[in-house]
Amino acid sequence: MNEQNIAELQGVAVGYDRHAVLSGIDLQIARGTFTGLLGANGSGKTTLLKTIAGILPPVNGRIIFHSPAVLGYVPQRDQLDSVYILSAFEVALMGVCGRIGAGRSIPREDHECVHECLRQTGADGFARQRFSELSGGQKQRVLIARALATQADFLLLDEPTAGIDAAATQAILELLVKLHRERNLTLLMVNHDLAAVRQTAQQIIWIQNGKLVQGPVNELLRREKIEEILNLQFS
Amino acid sequence: MMEMLHEIFSTGLRNSVYVSLLIGLVCPLIGNYLVLRRLIFMGVALPQISSCGIAFAFALHAWHLVPHLDDSSENALAFGGSTLFTLAALFVLTLLQRRSAGLADTRVGAAYVLAGAFSILLLVKNPYGEHGLLDRLRGEIIAVSDADLMMTAVAFGIVTTVLIVFRKEFLLVSFDPEMAITLRKNVFTWDGLLFLLIGITVSMSVLSVGPLVTFGFLLLPPLIARALARNMRQFAFTGCIVGMVSAFVGFYLAYRWDVPVGPTDVALLGVIYLIVSLLKRVFRRRRPRQSSAA
Repeated sequence: MNEQNIAELQGVAVGYDRHAVLSGIDLQIARGTFTGLLGANGSGKTTLLKTIAGILPPVNGRIIFHSPAVLGYVPQRDQLDSVYILSAFEVALMGVCGRIGAGRSIPREDHECVHECLRQTGADGFARQRFSELSGGQKQRVLIARALATQADFLLLDEPTAGIDAAATQAILELLVKLHRERNLTLLMVNHDLAAVRQTAQQIIWIQNGKLVQGPVNELLRREKIEEILNLQFS
Repeated sequence: MMEMLHEIFSTGLRNSVYVSLLIGLVCPLIGNYLVLRRLIFMGVALPQISSCGIAFAFALHAWHLVPHLDDSSENALAFGGSTLFTLAALFVLTLLQRRSAGLADTRVGAAYVLAGAFSILLLVKNPYGEHGLLDRLRGEIIAVSDADLMMTAVAFGIVTTVLIVFRKEFLLVSFDPEMAITLRKNVFTWDGLLFLLIGITVSMSVLSVGPLVTFGFLLLPPLIARALARNMRQFAFTGCIVGMVSAFVGFYLAYRWDVPVGPTDVALLGVIYLIVSLLKRVFRRRRPRQSSAA
């Protein structure tokens, strides 16, 4: 076991209801790296991310975290129901619930912490607005602020730029790079967009036809390598 | 008007008014979660299943499995049957939903119609239960003893206290259960506790006012509150106020016009909902649309 890794997956199989979508996964995620998780629709990217986040139990194998490893999860924003009358601030405030005991009210300093996280993600300007009425990019900033409010070392982001216009996508990616650099966070980001991953990530995990390929961006995103990986489906 | 109120509060109906007010307070608090979690069909089916539980409890007399009891013990037996059926249905329906087996709506619909059919079959040849339960099904005023009022107040007091104390946890596991898991919250336990509170509230309420009124107070005050509220606290508070005011005014109107209380309460809530919806539509048209930046 390498203590420089924040997480290690050993012989892990991921899936639903004991049915494995991906199996035999051996991965190391180094502390402080920005990793892009690539793959086609239905390849198992989100399932793998949710398994690492602890939302889904692994079908097989084990996942080891080396402390400190506080997880900050950023879900796909569309899975949050608009029926809730919550302000952006209240959504971000949920991030502190992990360290507050059941039935106890949230202390003033945690409110300040959440305001600071919203400031860092550029979401303080619309903190009082209703979350369901924000644009896609604004919601994403709030959800990133919520993940930061957990005082996370390891951010897991599920397609943070899906369905967002080009300008907002660029702004979100720049925000993630800035947070990664300034806070020395470990990031694992599911994304379809090769260009977005090339711009932000240092490492890539590429899922293709049930197989995982891991390596640095400048190696895996070379044209010949991309062709080699994508040709897996024709071999 | 004052004379009529004096008449109501100086007779045996006083306890019925108090029970109505308690139901008007607590059912919307529970109904909020059914609306937020989009479990409205569950809100229809549970009172019906609860009624079936009461019918089953009364049928135990007809089958000579339980001796005929005094009123207070009979109510406790009915509450037991109602709670048992409601919690069992909640457990089975949520378990199947968790396992994503089949279509959730059809299951809840089937549970509703089967519970209705079995309630009638259990009552049709039961001289002990038919009268009491049919009164409840129609939403008639049921005479409430001091002991029953106390039991209802204690149960609803516990439900309200737990809902208020753990509102942060209930909101988190309802809004974003996946996030809750990553924060090491035991979503299964919190969901279980919430469903237990739903089960107790529905059982107590059906026992006092029947399934129609219970569903009316579970659904309509939260819908009215959602149209008026600007945050979750206002949402909860407005629902309770609307529920209690409707329960009181509905009781007064029903007494005055000599009609069943339950349907009057529900009709009153319907009128309020219609007015609020229309007013909201008018104000929305007048207000200039705000643009939101990306």
